[in-house]
Parts: sequence; C-alpha cells; structure tokens
Amino acid sequence: MNNSLKSSVPTDREVILGILNNSEDTLNKLYKAYFAMVLQFILNNNGDEDDAKDVYQEAIIILYNKIKEGNFELSSKLKTYIYSVCRRIWLKKLSQSSRKTGNINDYEDVFAVEEDVEEHEEKDLQFVKMQSALDHLGEPCKTIIQDFYIHSLSMQDICEKFGYTNTDNAKTQKYKCLQRLKKIFFQP
Amino acid sequence: MRNDLELDAIIEDYLLGKLNLQETEAFEQLRRNDPTVDHKVVSHKFFMESMEMFAAQVRLKEQLNSIHAEIDVDGLASKLGPHPSRVVQLWRKHKSVIAVAASFLVLSLVSVYSIQHNTKQKEQLVLLSNQVNRAIKTQNSLIRKINNTNTSPGKPAVQNSFGGTGFAISTNGYILTNLHVINGADSLYVQNNKGESFKVKSIYTDPQNDIAILKISDKNFNHLSAIPYSIKKNTSSIGEIVYTLGYPKDDAVLGEGYVSSKNGFIGDTTQYQVSIPVNPGNSGGPLLDSNGNLVGIISGKPDQTEGAAFAIKSKYILEAMRAIPQDSLGSSKLSSTKKSLLSGLKRTKQIEKLQDYVFMIKVYN
Repeated sequence: MNNSLKSSVPTDREVILGILNNSEDTLNKLYKAYFAMVLQFILNNNGDEDDAKDVYQEAIIILYNKIKEGNFELSSKLKTYIYSVCRRIWLKKLSQSSRKTGNINDYEDVFAVEEDVEEHEEKDLQFVKMQSALDHLGEPCKTIIQDFYIHSLSMQDICEKFGYTNTDNAKTQKYKCLQRLKKIFFQP
Repeated sequence: MRNDLELDAIIEDYLLGKLNLQETEAFEQLRRNDPTVDHKVVSHKFFMESMEMFAAQVRLKEQLNSIHAEIDVDGLASKLGPHPSRVVQLWRKHKSVIAVAASFLVLSLVSVYSIQHNTKQKEQLVLLSNQVNRAIKTQNSLIRKINNTNTSPGKPAVQNSFGGTGFAISTNGYILTNLHVINGADSLYVQNNKGESFKVKSIYTDPQNDIAILKISDKNFNHLSAIPYSIKKNTSSIGEIVYTLGYPKDDAVLGEGYVSSKNGFIGDTTQYQVSIPVNPGNSGGPLLDSNGNLVGIISGKPDQTEGAAFAIKSKYILEAMRAIPQDSLGSSKLSSTKKSLLSGLKRTKQIEKLQDYVFMIKVYN
C-alpha cells in the first residue's frame, strides 16, 4: 500500500454517510483505500490482477448495496469486512474452478460474512439472467435498451443516435426490443 | 402485434404514472376485466424492477471500473505479488508475527539481562554476607596461635595455645581483655614485659560486649604501682590520634593511628573503627589517646579493609568493672575521675610506663 493511497483512507463513518449520499468521491476513496490489500491477498493465493478486480468489485458492490439498504451494522472495521467478503468470494471461486485451495495465506483478520455473500449471489443470478437476455437480444436492440434503461438517455437522444426519422419510430423500436427482451428473460 | 406494442406503451406509462386521471381509470378498468392485461402489467412491473436493479448494478460497476482504471495495478501487483524470493514471501506473510516475535525476543532479552543483572547483585550481596561471616570470624581471630612445641617439664604437654593482650585495671591484679581471647580456655596465664608468667582465672565475662576480667591468682605476683592511665569519659572524635600496645608476638608492639569511624563493625555502636595495623594477638590491647586516656579495647579487624581495626568503646570497660564487687578491685583501680599520669609525657615515656600494665594472655586448651 503506498502512502498516497493510505493517506486518503476515509473513515468508516465517512464511507457509510458518503454512500448513503451517493458521493462519488467517497466511493472513489473507498475503492482505492483497500484495493491493494485485496490485490495482495488474491495474488498470493493463486489469482491474478483480473481476479482481484472482479472479487474486489463484487465485495464493494455487496458493501454498497448493504449500506444502501440501510441495514448495515458495522460490527467490525470496514477493512475487515471487505477483506472477509473478498476472502469468502475468492475461496468459492477457487473451489468452483477446483484450483488449489489448500492453504489460504491470510493477511488480515477474518469476519463471518457467509450470509452477505450468499444473498449477493442470489441477486447476482438475476443480473446474470438479465445480462444474458440482453446479450441474446442482438443489436441494435441491446444498445437501445441499455441506453434508455441503464444510461437513461432520452428518446430524443436515441432517435438521433440511431438515425430514426422521429421519436415515435424510435419508441416503437424500443417497445419491440423490450418485448423481445422480456420474452427471453422470462423464458424458463 | 401492433396492439401489443401499444399495450406495452400504455402499461409503461401507467406504471410510471404518466397517464392522466381518465386514462388511468380506463386502464384499470381494462385490467380488472382482462386477466391477460393484468398479468402483463404485473410481469412488466417485475421486469422493470429487475431492469432497474440491473441498471443500478451496471452503473455502479462502470463507476468502479473507471476508478479501477486510475489505480496503477501493475505497479501494486509487482510490489504485492508473490516475490520470487522465499524469504521475502515469508516476511510478507508473517510480517506481524515476526514483529511480535521480535518484540517478544527483545523483551525477553531485556528481562533476562535485568534478571542476570539482579542475580549478579545478589551474588555480590551473598559474597558480602560471606565476608560478613568471615569478618565475624576474623573479629575473633586476633588471637595469636602459638605453636608451643617446646613443652617445659612439669607442665602438661600443650598442643594448642592462643595468645592475646590484656591490661591491668587495678593494682591488685585484675586484668581486662577480650572474651574471645579466653573463650574455651582450659588454663590461662598472663605474662608481663619482664617475661614473668602468672596464672589467672576468669572472674567476669560479658559476651555482649566481648569483655572478660581476669584475676591474677599467683602468689608470686606483686602489686603494681598506681595505674597510670585513666578512662576517657567522652567518646572520641574521628581523627583523634590513638595508639595501642599489644602482643602479636612475644614482645610488646606499638601500633599507632587515629579513630577513623565512630562506629565499628557494620555500624556497631559499641565500637570504634580505628586506623591501626593490628595483628592476631592484639586483641584485648588497650587503646589510648595521646594524653594516656583509655579510649577502648582492640577487639578485631575487618578482613577486607587493610590497616583498620575495631575497638570496644571505653564506657563498656567501666560497665564491666561495675559488674564485679567493687571492694575486690582495691583502692587503686582504673577510674575515669583521676587524671592520667601519662598526660603530657612523650610517647616513649608513656610506653615505658604503660608496658608494665599490659600483659600477654596465654591461653591453653
């Protein structure tokens, strides 16, 4: 952990308040504060930088959602929480890919977070479903849906981006896409 | 198909609350009448919620990715990744453990060192106390051991004999010496400077102050002339010149020095420490100041300090003398009231007078 990163470590309270107030700066600080710790953990336990990124982002998302839900009780340091979540996720990934799981080299205290991780995994299943539905949708529907629902572009913007003659055409196109997406999504 | 799309649009607007009051009522009416429409509304609602959550997740991920892009991952990875060297790896892995171990080691070293230091001090103390024991022995060891090889005929063969010094405290043959000189004696003799021996017997002993009073019981003994010295009433000051006459060998030996401490052996207040080289045999010798006043009785010496001796303070002589029947000492006895006859005389003259009153004590056992 280099010093410039360390010096900007926000206090746990700052993080919680910042996330509740949708502060991008806080998220930025939080992310940078503990990435090195997780990177070290993953690198020294049969992982690479990309694994570290995935695991760490998942942990941050879990923390973020938990805080957003408003039922986050800080029973340990955030650092310990994040580390524990990452450890749990990484252990699961290791056992799934049947990579060596023998001895885990720990760098921090560990905290029981199984419930949080499992809750997240359930939700994640929905997201995976949605993602795969979008992937199956094909262009230009995928982009239209993403632009409208995820990036919150207006119909006007979409109309211009895709060269529709008027917004009604674009709207019709969007509804067609949405209908197909729903069909894929609800497929058993 | 066209209707479906319109229906979707209406459902979306309805869920977003974009319909006006009339349209809402009309649509709700349609919902109630047509279960298919109702189902579509519910499923659309669920889908939109999923979509919203998914969108939030994707937006968060994008945000995190952009933050991630700011981090120098490669730099960190090379710093934090498994180091090719095993030592560095171990160090990283067990940094905190090593730190704890190191501090424990330092702590234990410090405590071991301090314990050793303490024991050293204790040892020194023990040594000192040994010295104390030895010194106590040496206190009593100023008795001269005489190897009496040439046994005179008529006298029983004597294997061991010890010697000390004593001095007259009355003209009729009372002699004062150290108790340790005569302790355990079978028979006691005193010898004056002319070489005449007289048999004596112990009259009084004071183990507390290490004082013994002997009485010459020999018929050949002639009364002495008046005791030249007197007893000093006051305690002597440090630095006062004092001397003693004793029999560390067969002839009287003068030892001169000064009072070096008001207390004697390990702070014994009944004694002085004097700076006079004494030898075995000096025990029981009188300690006089330059005016011929009796300051004390030489009784021992510390074995570590060279040239020092201890002397029992003179007031205990008086105490001892009071303990025996007063009339037995006769009219001419040692006292603190008379003026010393030695006062004002030269040292050589003093010694000349004094030596008739100082006896060698011979102890046989």
